[in-house]
Amino acid sequence: MGAVTYPNDKVVKFVDYNFVPVQIETSNTVLMNQFNVKWTPTIIVLDADGNEVHREVGFLAPEEFIPKFMVAKGKYYFNAEAHPEAQGMFDEALRDYPDSAAAAEAVFFRGVSRYKMTHDPKPLREAYETLTAKFPGSEWTKRAAPYRLIPQ
Amino acid sequence: MALNICWLDDLAKAKDHARQTKKPVLLDFFNPQ
Repeated sequence: MGAVTYPNDKVVKFVDYNFVPVQIETSNTVLMNQFNVKWTPTIIVLDADGNEVHREVGFLAPEEFIPKFMVAKGKYYFNAEAHPEAQGMFDEALRDYPDSAAAAEAVFFRGVSRYKMTHDPKPLREAYETLTAKFPGSEWTKRAAPYRLIPQ
Repeated sequence: MALNICWLDDLAKAKDHARQTKKPVLLDFFNPQ
């Protein structure tokens, strides 16, 4: 990460704009144990109270790092029930990185966020339809399978 | 001139900063070797 992804200009600007970045060495066994970190790189997104929102383990190239953490920031807003902001992040990830590994998760959480904001279940069915069409092999398509039962 | 991420090295300060800026914390565990 330190050799390829973190020096990337787009990553630097993305992280600076969206996050408060903190780096902890693996020698800090207190925090390694507190967060149950067993392998590096491990990158965790936390809210200001220290609640974990998202976790990634293993190398991510810049073109995957940015959409993964766009979705993570969307989940940060989602957990805070800030649904318009959450949906904005999911939409941005899908618009700018439609073929990334994070796209299916963005479709899933965008649908759930729309449902939680409106209490209309149709966005869940729409998420299932989009996932089935665009990401048939994704774990998020499997997780959305119950939504196929929602009337269109 | 190359850009660099301005990493903090103190989680408590990062959480304070997160509260002030209304941004999430990006916590990266790394092996410097």
